This record gives sequence, C-alpha cells and structure tokens, in this order.
Amino acid sequence: MSTEQEADTANRESRRSGPLVAVTRWLENLGETAFAYLLLTPVFVILGAIALYPLLRTFELSMYINVLGTGDPEFVGLQNYVDMFTGARDPDFPGSTMFLPDVSTSSSFPFVHVSGWFRSALVVTLVFTIVSVFFETVIGFGQALILDQEFRGRRLVRVAIIIPWAIPLVIQGMIFYLMFHPSTGFLTEYLANVGILAPTNTLNDPLSALIIVTIADIWKTTAFMALLILAGLQSVDRSLYDVARVAGASRWQQFKLITLPLVLPAVAIAVLFRTIDAMRIYGLIDITSSCTVVPSLSCMVVETFNTHRGLASAIAFVTAGIIGILAMIVIYRQYKEGF
Amino acid sequence: MATTTEQRSDSEDAEDGVIAKWTKGVIGDDEKRARLYRALFYVACGFFLVTTLFPFYWLLVLALTPNSQILTGDWSLPVIGIEFPHPQGFNPQAFVEVFQQIPFHLYVFNSFVLATVTTIIVLLVASLAGYVFGRLDFPGKGPLMLGVLMVSYFPPAAFLIPLFDAFLGNAVVIPFLGIELFEPPRLVNTPGSMIMPFSALFLPLAIFILTTFYAQIPDGLEDAARVEGTTRLGALFRVIMPLSAPGVATAAVLTFIAVYNEYFFSSIMALENVPENWSPLVGGILSYQDQYTTDFNLMAAASIVGVIPILILVIVAQERIVSGLTAGGLKE
Repeated sequence: MSTEQEADTANRESRRSGPLVAVTRWLENLGETAFAYLLLTPVFVILGAIALYPLLRTFELSMYINVLGTGDPEFVGLQNYVDMFTGARDPDFPGSTMFLPDVSTSSSFPFVHVSGWFRSALVVTLVFTIVSVFFETVIGFGQALILDQEFRGRRLVRVAIIIPWAIPLVIQGMIFYLMFHPSTGFLTEYLANVGILAPTNTLNDPLSALIIVTIADIWKTTAFMALLILAGLQSVDRSLYDVARVAGASRWQQFKLITLPLVLPAVAIAVLFRTIDAMRIYGLIDITSSCTVVPSLSCMVVETFNTHRGLASAIAFVTAGIIGILAMIVIYRQYKEGF
Repeated sequence: MATTTEQRSDSEDAEDGVIAKWTKGVIGDDEKRARLYRALFYVACGFFLVTTLFPFYWLLVLALTPNSQILTGDWSLPVIGIEFPHPQGFNPQAFVEVFQQIPFHLYVFNSFVLATVTTIIVLLVASLAGYVFGRLDFPGKGPLMLGVLMVSYFPPAAFLIPLFDAFLGNAVVIPFLGIELFEPPRLVNTPGSMIMPFSALFLPLAIFILTTFYAQIPDGLEDAARVEGTTRLGALFRVIMPLSAPGVATAAVLTFIAVYNEYFFSSIMALENVPENWSPLVGGILSYQDQYTTDFNLMAAASIVGVIPILILVIVAQERIVSGLTAGGLKE
C-alpha cells in the first residue's frame, strides 16, 4: 500500500470519530502477522480450553491413583500404564475376556501377555478397525466407480448412497439393534442357522455383537469412503482415457493402468482417515450391544472414568497416542504434498 | 467388424456349449460387451440401492406393525411362502404414541437448538480462521494448521475426563503445576456442557472447508476493493464473505448434521435422559430402549421421526455435502 493511499485512508477516517472508528483504525495499522494471529485468537481459545487442556490434564491424571477417593490422590508415575498392559487391575473390571484365549503363560507375542479387558479392548478395536475399513474401501470403491458415470437417476443413487452417512448414530444403532434383536430381527435366525451368529441372546454374545457392529459401521461409513475416492476419480485427466481407447486398451486395461495408479493416493488418504475414525468406535457398541460385551478402547474409558479415574485417563491417553501416531502419518503425507 | 466375429463364432459352434458360445460372443462383440457392462452396472446400482435403503424399509415395517405381532416374529409372506419382512397389519398410531409416551418433540427441539447454536459459533470462528489460513501469509501458518488438524483426529474419549470434571464444577487446574485457575459453574445438564465440546470437535472440519473456499477467491477482487479505499475488515465482510457464501453454506450444513448426529458427549453430558436437562435426540431414542424395552414399534417410529429432518437436509443439500466432504477430506 502506497503512502498516498495510507494518508488518504487516514484522512477519511479522521473525519469520523468514536470507539468503533478507533478500533478499526488500530486493526488497519496492524502488521499482517499480528492481524492473522488476532483473527485466530478465538480458535486458540476454544481449542486450547476444550482440546489441549483436557489432553494435558488427562496425561497428568493418568499418573495418579485414588483421584476420586476420599483421601488425597497419590502419584504413582506410570504404574497405571503398567497395570493396564499387565492386567494387574483386571479383577476390578469383570469385562469380556472372550476374544483371546488365555495365553498369558504360553506366547511370546508382545500383546498377548497383557490379559483381560484391556487386551480385549485393544484386540476388539483393532479387529473392528481392520475389518470395517477393508470392506468400506472395497465397497466404497465400487460405489465411487458408479457415481463417476453419467446416467439417468444418478442423483437418486447418490442420495441413496449418502443417506446412511447422514443418519444420527443413535438411530443407526437402533436400526441394527432392531434388525438383529432375537425377538424382532428376521436376519438373526438365518445367520444363526448358518452359524455366523449366536442363536439366542445374540446381542450379548461378544463375537456376534462385534460382527453386527462391524456390519452397521460398514453400512453407514462406506458412503464417506465412496465420496473421497470419487473426488480422486474425478481429478483423473479424462483425455488419458481417450488416448488409451485410441491405442486399443480394453476397459479393464484402462482401469488397471490409468484409474487405479492415479487414484491410489486418494484411496490411501481415505483409508487413513477411516482408520483414525474407526479406532474411536464407541457409540455404536453402546447402543446395539454393550460396552461390557464388546469392549473397545473408548468404551473402556467411558466405563471406568466414574470409578477409576487414573486408570481411565491412562487408557484415554494410550488411545489418543495410537490415533496420534496414525494422524501424524496423514499429516506428514499432506505436508509433503504442500498445503 | 461385428459380422466377422459372428461368422467366426458360428463356425466354432459345433464343439462349444451354450455358455462358452455366449462368452465368446461377448468377448468378441463390442456391442454385446457394452450391453453386458451396462447390465452389470445396473445390477450393482440396484444392489447398492437395496442395501442402503433396506434398513429404512425395515424401520417402517416395524413402526407400522402392532407390537404384539412383532413379538410373534413371523415375517413370512403368506403367498410365496418365503420370509420377506413386510408390515403385519397397519398401525400408524405408533407415530402418535411416540409423542405420548415421552415428550419426544422436546428432545428433537433440544437437538435443533444445540445444533443451531454450535453451527453459529463454529461458523463465526471458522470464517475468521479460514480467511487467515486461506488468504494471509504469516510465520507459523503451517504448524498452526497442523495443530488444528491434529485436534480433529483425537478421540473424544481423550478430552472427556477433564471436561467432565470441569463441567461438574470442580476447579480447573493447570496441568503439572497444580495451580488452581478458577472454579467453573456447574455445566452438566445445560446446553453449555454440550455446545463447548461440539464446537471444538467440529471446528477443524469447518476451518478446512472454509480455508479451501477462501483460497479460491482471486486476489484481484480483494486488491480492487482495497484500492477503492475499503478497509481490510471491510474487504473481508463486503467482498470475501459474500463470494465464499457457498463455502459457508457447506460448512453450515456439515456442522449441523455432525452435531445433530453426535453421540459421545450427547449421551454423557446430559446426566439423565430428560428433556428438561437438555438431553437431545440421543436421550429421547435411548429412553425407549431403556424404559420400554419391548415397545419395538415405538423404537422404530421414534427413529423415523428423528431421521426425517436429516433426510430433508440431505436431499436438499446433497451438492453441498458432496463438495464439502471432498474438500474437507482431501484438499487441506
């Protein structure tokens, strides 16, 4: 901005007066950096108070026991983390231990020595994440390929595919509760006959409930996957296909040699996004089954934070840590591509 | 070309079966192959339509069937003899009963208020941040955006415990220093205990959507306004904001849906499932599961009522949702 203009602006504003004008003039004279940080202040305040503070405080609480007790909280360092992995406090939590056989004496894998509910929560969360993200990617890819075409009724198909994504989680949970509840669901009997689900008390059987929760999640979040992959598909240069067709490539060859390699980065990002999100699974389990039947990591935090705050904080922090590492990968990739 | 292919396949007819003949025809004949692709395409389309929409049909079936019929659990169609779920009887009364058993409309109303207030807060804050990230250059921009991004990835469970303590009215303590800052008012059972975490959770997505939109506005427009003598803020509100209206609308729709659909804090911060304590939709639906555990038709009817506002929003704003999700997801 030239000095002439500055003088002009100052002139015009000096003719008016009052606090508003003074503030405006002060803002105008701020440097770009100061102006930027000023406008970002609300973001800092909100995220600082509601995200950063709780995260640090959770880490602090995770190093104490007896936080809720009548006596003073006692500093125990990393004992809560050790207890969590060794299962020393498991007797306090009669949660599910049905997902892994008790191999605490026999195996040499790192996670198999941890026993009881934390081990179960870790296994449940990982199994759920891997299975649901795998199916969501495959089915989502199919849906994206369909949405990428021009055809009559495309709008309708798109709405149908998006709708599950927009359904409130509590209603999604209710739908699948009603679809698989032994006294209402028509599916339970069939699937029980084939041996996939437990015939009675289906929603309280750990493996059955995990399968149902996974199906419910695939139903809802595949749409999200499809949209992200669709964005990747649509950024592929269309003229490449024309060239391929002239060169005599079949549709399958076009897909394998053009579409797939060009879309793969978008798919990778989408998979990481979904993985991070799937690791947070809680609500769906809480509604369709119960956190004591299918314990996920977030489930364990909610189940224990009213009674064992230190330990609950440790689980929360470990959960955040695992997700944080995955998030770093995403962020690193995007940073490399340049903001 | 098609004729030569047919001739060839005709000559080989003798030793081939029907399926082999058909396969060969499809491989050789462009038109047949195109038809096969189209057929497969429509089959896939139909499959996705059925799988995504069937659960809603199931809700409708349950809602319309009288509860006594549901409990007998017989879904077989009388004519064909196979089990296909269809309404047994016609009982629209369930949709009235939903509001009679509990004040369901109040729960939905609470959700609307929470979603609207959160959306307004998020839009105000995210517009400023999106403008800064999208249009200004300053030291520390990259790391700050990464920090914001990071927050959106953390599980709500990682924020729950200290927030719950604070909302119960316990003193806020600076971590690791033990210095008491202040004693907050007791916020559980009030809108504040939900709006605050919602705002933090959904702020990052809105910021990234708006950053993308603000960054797309050509620099020339802003410069022109500035040369005309408009102030920096004036240019923001009179030039940039109106031009980014589609972005703001997208962020608004996505934030509203996200809050309306949120479960974690909605189910924990309202300590009892009563609308007077600002329990939202989550509380309303769950109280059917808790208290009237065998009224399956009411659970289904309540779910349908709760879904309708979102259904309308999705149908009206599908373009915005698609563009917003892809922008927020991929284009940071």
